Amino acid sequence: MSSNDAAAPSGKNSDDDDLYQKHKKVYVREVHGLFATLRNAAMVVLLGLYYGLAWVSWNGQQVVLFDLPERKFHLFGLIFWPQDFIYLSALLIIAAIALFMFTSLAGRLWCGYACPQTVWTEIYMWMERLVEGDGRKQKKLDEGKHGSNYVRKKAGKHALWIAFSLWTGFTFVGYFTPIRELADSLITWNLGPWETFWIFFYSFATYGNAGFMREQVCIYMCPYARFQSAMFDRDTLVISYDEKRGEPRSRKAKKNATEGEKAGDCVDCGLCVQVCPTGIDIRDGLQYQCIGCAACVDVCDEVMEKVGRPKGLVRYTTENALEGKPAHILRPRVFIYVGIITLVTGLLLYSILTRTPLEVDILRDRSALFTENDMGMIENVYNLKVINMDAKSHEFTIEVEGLEGIRISGDKMLRVQVESGAIAEVPLRVEVDPESIKRRSSEIFFNVQATDQPDLMQHEPGKFIGPVAR
Amino acid sequence: MPTLPVNKPALQEVPILQSIISVLWPSFLVASVGTVVFFVLFNPIELAGLLGFPELSPLAGYTAGFFGFWLLTSISSSLTNHFRKPSFRAQSKGSHDIEQ
Repeated sequence: MSSNDAAAPSGKNSDDDDLYQKHKKVYVREVHGLFATLRNAAMVVLLGLYYGLAWVSWNGQQVVLFDLPERKFHLFGLIFWPQDFIYLSALLIIAAIALFMFTSLAGRLWCGYACPQTVWTEIYMWMERLVEGDGRKQKKLDEGKHGSNYVRKKAGKHALWIAFSLWTGFTFVGYFTPIRELADSLITWNLGPWETFWIFFYSFATYGNAGFMREQVCIYMCPYARFQSAMFDRDTLVISYDEKRGEPRSRKAKKNATEGEKAGDCVDCGLCVQVCPTGIDIRDGLQYQCIGCAACVDVCDEVMEKVGRPKGLVRYTTENALEGKPAHILRPRVFIYVGIITLVTGLLLYSILTRTPLEVDILRDRSALFTENDMGMIENVYNLKVINMDAKSHEFTIEVEGLEGIRISGDKMLRVQVESGAIAEVPLRVEVDPESIKRRSSEIFFNVQATDQPDLMQHEPGKFIGPVAR
Repeated sequence: MPTLPVNKPALQEVPILQSIISVLWPSFLVASVGTVVFFVLFNPIELAGLLGFPELSPLAGYTAGFFGFWLLTSISSSLTNHFRKPSFRAQSKGSHDIEQ
């Protein structure tokens, strides 16, 4: 089977006609094993980062803060401004290509281990198991009589889910409003209306997606799931059932073998179906619903060990390997992806490391083209915006050059103190002897330089308008 | 004259909930991207000043921007959803009139 025509859904899942409507809940059986451990580790690390990082401060500054009111992004000591949007684009390109690379190497690694949808679904299922017990007990509870035990367990589960959702929403808003201030205003019952709205909005989305929608988000809503097959080839590691080894499957494999009948290794225990979070049967071939979580690999290995057969009846393998052909992990598309990632990362790092965290905007006063002062000099008025994008405050000197004898009226040199992440507006007059003006509009330059750090400087061009000397 | 498949189960028999999600979800994705790009270019405080709401808080500005985008994109998605329904019925009625 070609990987591109991911098999049609198996019989019991072909209820595509009533999408979202008569959805049957998937009761997932808990699984232990190598990949389950990896998945749990990924979950703990990623959730830890999400809930923890918001609280980390360095020099009194939250290390990751998308400060919307101030329009500044604080990221580990660097400050990014809206004009640094290009860096964000580069970051997104790197992320997209990395996703393509991992997909072509090992299928849906992202989906199985790192996607927020998977991670939050895992933790919500863990809470569900905590209150209601394993998948089988959950099913029994739902199908049994809805007495006081049922109400107590459901109430407990939803209380736990809602509390966790609210904490998630609070943390989310904490990445946009300093989280300590947010916590203070929460304790004093003083939350702003918009903060409150977003906390509830995000909590509701988490509750719905991780508690109820779950695998349906992956199957029906995820755009990536629809085009990821384009990145698969015959050398992509995917989770596959070894049909040659497994078939014909039989519950009485041992008996069949002793009676001389042909029997495969699959004992048809059905556990691979019970542990699947999307409720599919991996033995039907590669399906677009498979998120590559490897739960079926773990559970099948456990069974194979019990029945004394070699592990890996369901395993990470490639189509070529299954057909006994040589596998190629390092292939041209992988090199191309690595090449693009290296290039873009290099450019991004280079431009961040060499960027001058100082921006100077020059606005000419438009009310008058030029004026003549009492000394007979021609004056132009400017408004300089000095933006200090560095992590600490600096004193800057402002000088002007480009015409003979040009100077800032009053002072020869202007000094201005600008705090970290602040914008100083400096109105100033520039004067020139009419004798040195050769053109109606001459190019001049403003030099803005930090006194304590000479390489922190900008050489910004501006226009000087004056009467043409006759 | 070719017969028109009037009685065939057609696209309009998509469940209502699927229609709603196929409108709200893609428009949400596009609105998110639109909001980010828009507010990189424009400061909501300055816009609010221009539009005559100088009291608006930044967060309220961003929120209004996001839901404004979502409203626009979901209108577009609903129209797509509406127009992708086959117009068999209208056609067959028209040709019937001409025959008479």
